[in-house]
Amino acid sequence: MSAAASTAFDAADRLRAPGPWEIFGERSRRYEIHLNGRSIEMIRGPILIEGYGLRLFRPRDGGMGIGSQASTELTEAGVRAAARDAEELAKYSAFPAKSIDLPSGKSGTGDGPEVCDPNLWDRPLETLEGFVDALLQPFEGERDVEPSFGSVRATLTETTITNSSGLRVAYPHTTAWLELAVKASGGPEGAAPGEYWVNDTVRRLETRDLPDRVREWSRLARDVRRAKSTPSGELPVVLPSAILPTILPAVIGFRFTGSARLRDLAPELGTTWAAEAVTVRDDGRVPWGIGSSPVDDEGSPQRARPLLDRGQVAGLLYDTRHAGAFETRSTGNGWRGRALIYLDWRRFLGPPVNTTSTLSISAGKDGSDAELIEAAGDGIWLQQLGWAVPDPVSGAFGGEIRIGYRIRDGKLAEPVRGGTLGGTVMAPSGHPSLLRNVAAIGSTPVLSEWVQSPTLLIRPLTVAGQN
Amino acid sequence: MSDLRSLEADLERSLRRLEPRTKFAEAFAQAETGQEVRFERKTTGVTREPHLRGAVIRAWGGSRWIEAATSSLDARSLEAAASSLEHSLTKSAAGSAPPGESSTLRKEWTDRPARPGRDLSSEEMIAFSRDVFGWATAVPGVQNAQTGVGWSEEERFYLNTAGARCYGVLNRMRGGCLAIAIENGRAENDYAFFGSLGGQELMGYLNERRVTETARSAVDLLHATGAPAGEIPVILDPSTAGTFAHESFGHGTEADQFVRNRSYLRPILGQTVGPESLTIIDQGSYPGGWGSVLFDDEGQPGQRTVLVDHGKFVGALHDRETAAALHAHPTGNARRSDFLSRLFVRMTNTYVEPGDWTLEELVKEAKHGVLLEHATSGIEDPQGGQMQLKVNRGRLVENGELTTVVPSVALSGKVLEFLQRIRGISHRADFEMSPGYCGKGHSDLIPAGTGGTYLLSTAVVGPA
Repeated sequence: MSAAASTAFDAADRLRAPGPWEIFGERSRRYEIHLNGRSIEMIRGPILIEGYGLRLFRPRDGGMGIGSQASTELTEAGVRAAARDAEELAKYSAFPAKSIDLPSGKSGTGDGPEVCDPNLWDRPLETLEGFVDALLQPFEGERDVEPSFGSVRATLTETTITNSSGLRVAYPHTTAWLELAVKASGGPEGAAPGEYWVNDTVRRLETRDLPDRVREWSRLARDVRRAKSTPSGELPVVLPSAILPTILPAVIGFRFTGSARLRDLAPELGTTWAAEAVTVRDDGRVPWGIGSSPVDDEGSPQRARPLLDRGQVAGLLYDTRHAGAFETRSTGNGWRGRALIYLDWRRFLGPPVNTTSTLSISAGKDGSDAELIEAAGDGIWLQQLGWAVPDPVSGAFGGEIRIGYRIRDGKLAEPVRGGTLGGTVMAPSGHPSLLRNVAAIGSTPVLSEWVQSPTLLIRPLTVAGQN
Repeated sequence: MSDLRSLEADLERSLRRLEPRTKFAEAFAQAETGQEVRFERKTTGVTREPHLRGAVIRAWGGSRWIEAATSSLDARSLEAAASSLEHSLTKSAAGSAPPGESSTLRKEWTDRPARPGRDLSSEEMIAFSRDVFGWATAVPGVQNAQTGVGWSEEERFYLNTAGARCYGVLNRMRGGCLAIAIENGRAENDYAFFGSLGGQELMGYLNERRVTETARSAVDLLHATGAPAGEIPVILDPSTAGTFAHESFGHGTEADQFVRNRSYLRPILGQTVGPESLTIIDQGSYPGGWGSVLFDDEGQPGQRTVLVDHGKFVGALHDRETAAALHAHPTGNARRSDFLSRLFVRMTNTYVEPGDWTLEELVKEAKHGVLLEHATSGIEDPQGGQMQLKVNRGRLVENGELTTVVPSVALSGKVLEFLQRIRGISHRADFEMSPGYCGKGHSDLIPAGTGGTYLLSTAVVGPA
């Protein structure tokens, strides 16, 4: 990419509309390497996409009409067509905010957390190819284990945001996504192959720890083959940080927001919704966090925001729309691209939603994973669920255990697989929930996609198996 | 609506430019228009599809495919995409032809529904959504409802160097109601939704009776007792049976997983896997299906593929490469999520053929168990042969009768064991097709239809 992107600024120059307005622009390059076993099946890229999302805010009937339109047409005619659509849609939309306080000011690329991998940015395909080589090499040392299906995909994006209040923000960022099916087979006749599914979204590609990670994935794939049936009962369950992004953000990222408050679904400040040991913040400045950036997608600066302080509700999160509805300030929680899957390379296509950046659970005093396992006594270590599918409204979550471990006498025992594990993330007083049943919190937070958390011991969750 | 056929000369020029360096190249262009209304107690949202059009060009590089895509459809951008491929082809040995059959289909599909969604005004869409909201919130205990309706027109244009030329427009309508009941800080919800190829006639699905039932169900869930946990007889409702078809013999029969040696089903092709009453179909030509295709993204027409025929596993889903590798023919299942995404072997509309039981007979046969209703999701395990299905609610079966409502439930099981335990499938009058989105791995979502009737088997279930 030659010159720095100015997508939103160019669109703004061609916009002939009165304020308030906001334009979110992105210019992205995308590269993908697809694998078939240890062979490269396909190389894609550059896949180029440049576009913008325009929002117009029009006071109407005591509230606000908000019209939004996304487009890849950057010509004068294209921007005007998008503006015409947005203006018309604003006439039909209704939102209960008397005013919208858009952020102002300027922010440069150096003002935020680290979110741009320089190697990936400068040499995307070479970096991807190097990563794939480093990924495949350790499998040569793994007997009876190989990758069967997977891809590594990288997106390099220049985000630009501007609005009628004078905001001008530009920053580059990178995301990379690895998915890999690791298959164990061979050995004694009759044993079915086992597979461990790797799925990880990161800001930078690192090869240093790949040998250790491949060894770990291979162990898990082998353990899938020898796993026993899951027991049934109300059991202590240990949840490592890597599993929490599939459970927590969908529920907490809705219920602790102005969006939930508007629907009478947010908890009251000061009420108790979690065990006393639980303190949770939303933190958009975690280095290399997939949810991190200098500003949110409306241009509001990032910071840490309290959600739960020792089990009690300490704050809610707002974007500019919901801040307007409740006559408060945006907390910097307007985010684009948060659909069923994270659309990191086409965020401009949809308007911002009010949700979390990186959920950060404070370290506890209960020590290492081994100490949490010992504290569980007789229970389950949950390594991977099929799909937790949390329900943002009811808070229910759960799914099939793809791989876990029985905990017996305070130690990890045989692998288990099959059956279900589930519960409710958060529930009012008098009802059990994951947050209320947190019995121990490890001492070392680990960043995993949208969550930074230590390992948690939940006592109990419902486990259903054949036994 | 734009007409992508106006780009034909530019796309042809791009392909011709590549011909000296490859035995085969193809171009796929896509554009979409549409509008959606979302209505709630305090907000009304009206949105339109992005102004987004684009194309991808794929060429055979001798041993693998290479692709370039662009979101600008001016001649210069298409030329640039072709140029980048030309550069890559220079570096590869492009002597051989790609595996499999190249489509030579030349056809246009331009039929429109009698009353297309685009003829709806914004006011009409809002009025419809408000009516649905009114029916839902008239039920005591329902505080809010998220309702809406939308339409889209997706234009697809395919050309290749073997002479294929396919053009078509897919008219889709969708809508739904999510009723939310709140009591003492506890919130529950239930939903009804539709999605099909077609026009305004489909909106009749969200009638007052169905919406009221959905709203009452949300209230019932507030007071629902704990879901059962353990291995018990389960009756899948039509939406869940469809999800079962998709997750069990859908993903595992996508033949790219055969070629990767990643499907537990490959070694048992041709074997009996279930009862005589079990037949599972994938049908891209299903009339009005949410996942129907006029032609796939290799230019093959949508068709009906039998996967399980009266209990025998007989077929798989193919693109040109897997068909060539496994001595079969393409089945019209090569699909891209959009012009920015790669092509994979994908399902279209996957369903269980009806049987001859009634629901009452299945309930009596189950005696003790649970009826799983309102599927919310499913996930497959093509290597390990497991599946997970989730539903929003269930009803206990006690002494051969339907009794208490239970909250959301997950089902876990080994597909082949589940099939062997099937004891009955209900009749055609119960058949329903449901709309959904399907991912390959964790990405590349496409519209996929699922269908079935009530189906009785045994599996592990638990609260979720």
